[in-house]
Amino acid sequence: MSDTPHTHAAVAPETPRRAREAHAHLPPVVRLDGICKSFGKVRANHDITLDIRPGCIKALLGENGAGKSTLMSILAGKLRQDSGSIIVDGTPTVFASPRDALRAGIGMVYQHFMLVDSMTVAENVLLGQSPHMLLRPARMRDEVAALAERYGLAVEPAARVGGLSMGERQRVEILKLLYRDSRVLILDEPTAVLTPRETDQLFEAMWRMADQGKALVFISHKLQEVLTVADEIAILRRGEVVDEFSEADVPNQTVLANRMVGRDVVLQVDAKRLAPVDTVLSVEHLSGPGLSDVSLTVRRGEIVAIAGVAGNGQKELVEAICGLARPEAGEVRILGRPWREFFAGPPGRRGLAYIPEDRQGLATCRQLDLVDNFLLTTRNLFAKGVFLDRAEAVNAVKRVVWEYNVQPGDITASARALSGGNLQKLVIGREFFRKPEVIVAENPTQGLDISATEEVWGRLLEARSTAGVLLVTGDLNEALELADRIAVMYRGRFIDVFDKDDAAKVQAIGLMMAGVRPDEPDEPDEADKAGEPDEADKAGEPDELGDPDQKDEAETPA
Amino acid sequence: MDMDTALLLSILAATVQSGTPILYATLGEMFTERSGVLNLGVEGMMIVGAFTAFLATHLTGNPWAGVLAAGLCGGGLSLLHGVVCLVFQGNQVVSGLALTILGLGLADFLGTPYVGITTTGFQAFAVPVLADIPVLGTIFFRHDALVYLSYLLPPLFWLFMARTRAGLALRAAGEHPAAASAAGLSPVRIRWCGIFTGGFLAGLGGAYLSLAYTHLWTNNMTSGRGWIAVALVIFAFWRPGRAVFGAYLFGGVMALQLRLQAMGANLPSSLMLMLPYALTVLVLLASSARGGGRAAPAALGVNIEPEE
Repeated sequence: MSDTPHTHAAVAPETPRRAREAHAHLPPVVRLDGICKSFGKVRANHDITLDIRPGCIKALLGENGAGKSTLMSILAGKLRQDSGSIIVDGTPTVFASPRDALRAGIGMVYQHFMLVDSMTVAENVLLGQSPHMLLRPARMRDEVAALAERYGLAVEPAARVGGLSMGERQRVEILKLLYRDSRVLILDEPTAVLTPRETDQLFEAMWRMADQGKALVFISHKLQEVLTVADEIAILRRGEVVDEFSEADVPNQTVLANRMVGRDVVLQVDAKRLAPVDTVLSVEHLSGPGLSDVSLTVRRGEIVAIAGVAGNGQKELVEAICGLARPEAGEVRILGRPWREFFAGPPGRRGLAYIPEDRQGLATCRQLDLVDNFLLTTRNLFAKGVFLDRAEAVNAVKRVVWEYNVQPGDITASARALSGGNLQKLVIGREFFRKPEVIVAENPTQGLDISATEEVWGRLLEARSTAGVLLVTGDLNEALELADRIAVMYRGRFIDVFDKDDAAKVQAIGLMMAGVRPDEPDEPDEADKAGEPDEADKAGEPDELGDPDQKDEAETPA
Repeated sequence: MDMDTALLLSILAATVQSGTPILYATLGEMFTERSGVLNLGVEGMMIVGAFTAFLATHLTGNPWAGVLAAGLCGGGLSLLHGVVCLVFQGNQVVSGLALTILGLGLADFLGTPYVGITTTGFQAFAVPVLADIPVLGTIFFRHDALVYLSYLLPPLFWLFMARTRAGLALRAAGEHPAAASAAGLSPVRIRWCGIFTGGFLAGLGGAYLSLAYTHLWTNNMTSGRGWIAVALVIFAFWRPGRAVFGAYLFGGVMALQLRLQAMGANLPSSLMLMLPYALTVLVLLASSARGGGRAAPAALGVNIEPEE
């Protein structure tokens, strides 16, 4: 067990890591040796060798589909490698299940949390772990509180998980592993669901865990975060480790990005401004469940981005605009027509295109082929009386598939044969085929790799010449690259709507996403910058997103 | 003690008696559902329990052997449901319905030669001291052993769910089996236990019918009590305390209906026989209006896909 309390606490208070060298002399906890794994013909991992050392944060950097998650699922016992071995403490070990890996001290925090919403934090942490037949709730809470305190993972042990924010849930997941004395903690894209502030708190907790001798693996495709938090960086590309850097020799962001994708990628796009013309979408004082007094206009020739952490009313706003939910109070006008009138007519010729975030569930039907999927929203364009001109549609799909480079281009294949990126290209091709004048795109590049992202971005910018675009995104970079104006959403309202050229406001987006207006920094503990993590800013205070109403005890006896 | 009070007390005591088999079955189904499995075969498991309890008692002369046989056979039948849902990931609704049909058919087929034969079964006895409490003693403590056993179940149920390691694991399997699996538990194994326990209790409910409520075997002796139990689980929001209330509510209506018939009330008997079932519909309406569905275990009825 390398979990020794560190004794180097006061060495360098200005750096976030206090005991980086404390565990440097120790041998690796885990060594992955020549791991290979294929799914059918797809080679997910090929001959990967990695050392994971105590007290060290190792970043696995790579695009979507580079094999990061596969590799870590193998290490966590969820998948079995085809060849190669996992060496724990110098002994080759076979994991038949995640249970075996957990027993060996290796645990993973998955992107989809494995938590029981109706149970308390303490119950979730002790699930399957309690040493006693009978549970003692008060003692469970104390134990969890002590553990949370030790690693700076603030969370209320008696709270029900269902009422917690994403950041808090993540802390519960980490606490579960810590409670089991896990020595290796694997975090799979942990920042995807966090606010900038929560991200900082997570990084601090990670440093704290590393200082106490834990080995951490941080899976990410976000360069900036990797550079901030990691001690060592391994770059995965197409299932192979193409580079490994230690803290001392980490190159700059551009070099890292190039190594990651294997060619020069311009992460900046050329977003020349167009002169906005007429207003195509206007939302005035829209309120309802999850929304309060939202006002916004989108003009032809511009992209308006709504930035914010998911779950702050974006979904409700999009549903109201796209006709999926009736606006309760306030007004929505699309192409000059009131909501009710606009959505009263038949779909298809409406001029509003919706590119949903859930491209597998909402945008397409998995079982249908590409032509049928294409016809889902364009069928009116191919209608001949009550019949569909399918031959015409087939030609159109072929053109779109070619023009948007959808791979594989077999239009008789069902939609599920397509990867997320290719499906997205098909959806965008389909929606743009209708020549929309209003485009609502919801996280259009989520889960796409860099080249597909670039393509989608290019299409959206192109579309400005004939349409107004409302871009809902959780990716700040995307908002900054594409948008002419940015609205920051928090808890159902816009904190601010401003022009991208307003440097001061752009600087403060992180704070706004956490609900702080830059002009009124009333809460002192919220006032610190969301950029660099700050040692003084302990991850101590409970998250404001937590729901205090959820603390009632379990069922009562008869 | 005047006539009316005596009548009321006897109806209330009869309420406990006719509520008991429903209570067993409801708690059993609730247990199964808390583990995430919907088993609509309660009626089938109950009647098989009723028959095997009768048969075992008839053969051995010992009613406790009957109770054990009923539990094991009810549980055994439920394992069939486990095979369909846990091994082959079959549809839980279809499998449960099939189990009901199978159970009713089996009991009918095997039981026909024994119809009308009486057996010893359980006799009522007064619990010392407690039976002498005014009112409550008459209502609750002048019954048979199976009734007294049923008093212990709800608190045990609650204690198990809220205060034991195994209960926590069972709830996790019903709420989020993947989370249970990630915590190193085996949700499939837990659900096997949930299904068997539920079947065992449904069998005991059946045993009560043939060994205590009556002392004989007749065809279709459960007459829909299993379905009432399924409805009561929803009515009770998956809470044992409310299950007691619900079971006695139904028991009360059944007892009252019998008493009214016996007194020759001027109402068509078919109308009165309908009462418990009409109440079932009302209860379901009321609990869905109150949002009872939201109290259901999150993964209820959802099969566990085998991991790769």
